[in-house]
Amino acid sequence: MSGKDREPVFPTRQALGIMKSKLKGAQVGHDLLKRKSEALTKRFREITKRIDDAKRKMGRVMQIAAFSLAEVTYAVGNNSIAYQITETARQAKFRVRTKQENVSGVFLPAFESFQVEGASEFGMTGLGKGGQQVQKCRETYTRAVETLVELASLQTAFVILDEVIKVVNRRVNAIEHVIIPRTENTIKYINSELDELDREEFFRLKKVKGVKEKVQAEEEAERQKKKKSSSDKENEEEAESKNVLGDEGDEDVIF
Amino acid sequence: MAEGMFYNATNGYVEGIVRGYRSALLTGQNYGNLTQCETIDDVKLQLGPAYGDYLASLPPNPSTSTLADKTLDKLVAEFRYIQANATGSLSKFMEYLTYAYMIDNVALLITGTLHERDTKELLERCHPLGWFETMPVLCVATNIEELYNSVLIETPLAPYFKGSISHHDLDELNIEIIRNTLYKNYLEDFHRFVNEEPGIKGTPTQTVMSEVLEFEADRRSINITINSFGTELSKQDRKKLYPNFGRLHPEGTLMLSRAEDVEGVRIAVDGVHDYRTMLDQTGMGGGGLGNQSGGIGGDEGKSLEDLFYQKEMEICKLAFTYQFTHAVVYAWVKLREQEIRNITWISECIAQNQKDRVNNFISVF
Repeated sequence: MSGKDREPVFPTRQALGIMKSKLKGAQVGHDLLKRKSEALTKRFREITKRIDDAKRKMGRVMQIAAFSLAEVTYAVGNNSIAYQITETARQAKFRVRTKQENVSGVFLPAFESFQVEGASEFGMTGLGKGGQQVQKCRETYTRAVETLVELASLQTAFVILDEVIKVVNRRVNAIEHVIIPRTENTIKYINSELDELDREEFFRLKKVKGVKEKVQAEEEAERQKKKKSSSDKENEEEAESKNVLGDEGDEDVIF
Repeated sequence: MAEGMFYNATNGYVEGIVRGYRSALLTGQNYGNLTQCETIDDVKLQLGPAYGDYLASLPPNPSTSTLADKTLDKLVAEFRYIQANATGSLSKFMEYLTYAYMIDNVALLITGTLHERDTKELLERCHPLGWFETMPVLCVATNIEELYNSVLIETPLAPYFKGSISHHDLDELNIEIIRNTLYKNYLEDFHRFVNEEPGIKGTPTQTVMSEVLEFEADRRSINITINSFGTELSKQDRKKLYPNFGRLHPEGTLMLSRAEDVEGVRIAVDGVHDYRTMLDQTGMGGGGLGNQSGGIGGDEGKSLEDLFYQKEMEICKLAFTYQFTHAVVYAWVKLREQEIRNITWISECIAQNQKDRVNNFISVF
């Protein structure tokens, strides 16, 4: 493993420094991401719970709303009332605006419902009969739509958070199981290579030193020898000094 | 009581038929069975004896609206049959009955034209009883002015438009005001008809129909007043929508036109015992406004609408105690309509699993 799973770097001290800082960075990043993931998961659980509540609530509210529509049909006495109301509505009274909420760096869109001020569009529908039921039905449905909007914003947050949590967890795992071991391996590798180099260097130095010492010893020996011979020569020189200049074709003296 | 001698010569057959139809109306017993149903199919089964053929073509587990449509089909078929056999003043009388539905249809068509809808699909939504020959022609009109000038004045409703609404009003006025103005004119005309028509004047028809129409007029006045609270309908405009007859007319309607809240309505109707009792029964809320709050409304008192319907049904039931009168036709139509609404209500309650309110229907037999 140590052989293949490391980064392609030259085992130099500089690379070691880079790797070490990279490892440190990875660890810090891992901690941060882990914390982010935890925060998101907490939020996620909370939202899941709220979605559950909202869905149950929606079920109830929609049931009531549908029933109030039945009441309207009963009170007005014909089926065309729904059509008339859809035709009379010109402007949306119930509107939705979005805002962003920041959860650990994730932007979650949140829908906020509000009602446009002003008299209602079909305030006079069912003036002759059933008007009260119509208004009541409108209120019930407004409540139902509010619940729907709430649910919609929760659902959107749910989907986005789900995605983000997946990404973050993938990153956390990648850092934890791939990047950190690999960096550690690389460091180990660089260290071992550097040690190896050190040892080689040491050996080389030792070798060089040995050679040098040998040479020195030889030189010393030579010198000793030379010394000895020169002292002999001196004696000879005195005898042969006249020959020195005269015998130019003589062999060179090897020291 | 000279009319009794000759009534049967012309209208005896129709009256007999209508009385037969009346006997076929669902009774308390039938409703009891209906409320025990668990599914729409059970309801369909229970309705078998009364509606047999008309429900046969329904798919299993039909929606409540298709069920209601089928029951309405039966009413329409029977009405058409009677209308075909009616002669003289009865035929005219039955035409008057259809005008009310025509008003709804015309209002629907105007709404559709205002929003440039395909009028073909509007026609499908129109009430079949309010169908008149020139109604498909309304589809030709593409804008309001054209609708008014060339088409609307050709309809049987033209006299009700005349004088009260010009084509300038059509695009500005709220459609509900048009509808209620038309209805007011219609009620006044109908009232005049039953009181002045030679074949009807002095007969039990006049007595019964006057009572019914006066009640209808009062009901509309009170409803319009209560429903207009909190809307931009001014008091002058409101006053114009009150029919100019009825037990509340003129003092009551004058006071109604000045009423600012439910308490004002209560004071206005103080002179008429029936209405006062009704308002007292509904409590201060004036029609069970809080009925739905919290959903399964445990409201004991019925809403004002319910009480009005109840009263109307009682008047209609009593109409059958008279003989030699056209009023039985009116009463039968109204009773049958209520029956359709009851069936819709019960099947709605069953379909939506709200059995605790299923008994909120009105049964007089």
